[in-house]
Amino acid sequence: MKEWQKFLILAGIFLIFYFAPIDAAVVTSSISAGLVLLQEYARLHVLTCLVPAFFIAGTIAVYVKKDAVMKLLGPTTKKYIAYPVGSVSGGILAVCSCTILPLFTGIYKRGAGIGPAVAFLFTGPAINVTAILLTSSVLGWDFAVGRLIAAMVISIIAGLLMAFVFREHDRKTTENGFATGLESDVPYSNLTVTFFFILQLAVLVIFGLSIDPSLKAILIILLVLATAGIVIFKFRKEHTMEWFRETWNLTKKIMPYLFAGVFIAGMIETLVPEDVVTGLVGQNTFLSNAIASTFGAFMYFATLTEVPIIQKLMGLGMGRGPALTLFLTGNALSLPSMIVLFKVMGKRQASVYILTIMSLSVIAGWLFGEVI
Amino acid sequence: MTIKVLGPGCMNCKTLERRTLEVLSEINLKAEVQKVEDLDSIVGYGIMRTPGLVIDEKVVWQGGVPTKERIKELIGSVAQKGVAS
Repeated sequence: MKEWQKFLILAGIFLIFYFAPIDAAVVTSSISAGLVLLQEYARLHVLTCLVPAFFIAGTIAVYVKKDAVMKLLGPTTKKYIAYPVGSVSGGILAVCSCTILPLFTGIYKRGAGIGPAVAFLFTGPAINVTAILLTSSVLGWDFAVGRLIAAMVISIIAGLLMAFVFREHDRKTTENGFATGLESDVPYSNLTVTFFFILQLAVLVIFGLSIDPSLKAILIILLVLATAGIVIFKFRKEHTMEWFRETWNLTKKIMPYLFAGVFIAGMIETLVPEDVVTGLVGQNTFLSNAIASTFGAFMYFATLTEVPIIQKLMGLGMGRGPALTLFLTGNALSLPSMIVLFKVMGKRQASVYILTIMSLSVIAGWLFGEVI
Repeated sequence: MTIKVLGPGCMNCKTLERRTLEVLSEINLKAEVQKVEDLDSIVGYGIMRTPGLVIDEKVVWQGGVPTKERIKELIGSVAQKGVAS
């Protein structure tokens, strides 16, 4: 950043505080609404959902073997395997959003081709384990599952469409695949890792159950002890340290943005007039889904912040259909990500991809609003 | 010896770069360490899961942050081959 830019920012902040009507009712009420929502998240979602979810994401990053999955996205894999694998593997391969683009480029240029690569690119951010868990904790299981299934179905359709439209551009040679067989995978059996994973997931699920509190406490203590037991007796110390490091890195990266997002979402509730929201996206019509789709495509949501924002928009009267549409495009597209897409894919392919995603999301959201 | 750390600049890539530099100063080995951030070059090595480690143009690691012990072994094995040939 240049010095004069720093000066302008500082001067801007000064002017805001100099002239802003800080004690006006709208300012104080929106700030306190932001604080109220922050407290709600701190009390209801941090310990019972986010903390276990970050540990689970750390587990995926360190313990889950990824070479086998990568092989299924290689150049020689049958298409009917590569597409579904591309659409779900984002949850395992891309715990952090910065790994999505190298994987996409790799699958596209050296692996299974543009179709499965597109399927991966679209679901990568949406199928992220922490996002699904937080959605279910805040908005309920139907939304989490709806979001998951819609993302997978859309990603496969979009992938097939892209592969069809650009069939001449897709690489046909099958030489040079991926570098595999390097010892980055941990030496534990699939059974151990799966069990370890399920134990942590069970902690999270039991937190969400409405059962007798003391029974809940006992179950959770038992599960945490079992998890700790595996860590102490089964896993090597170096891997445990990596697990903690990954979990902590993820927390550091996501938490500040999430809290900022929660605060802003709380402010939206008082700043945005209710009739604007109900008027634009209140009903489950084609138009309201299209508005939600366009808004989500351009708006940038930092990881997980889409959850509090959509929660509050629904509080203001947003329909369930447009809400799901916003989940789908809000996650997959944003103005910055579109710019990157144009650079990586080229103008024509990127435009077709963006338009396909936007229209398929409208259809999925509309269906969700009508059926469920 | 040329060591390349491949990754688009996420936290794990920085950790790997830092650990590599630490290992080099610990074992007192002079090597050029480069950071490769360009996507096409990264994929050109066949590396999809970042960060990756390339020693003398050979991919020795990808998809996670190796411990310092492991980095020592990786550098050691390449260094020995270099002497043998």
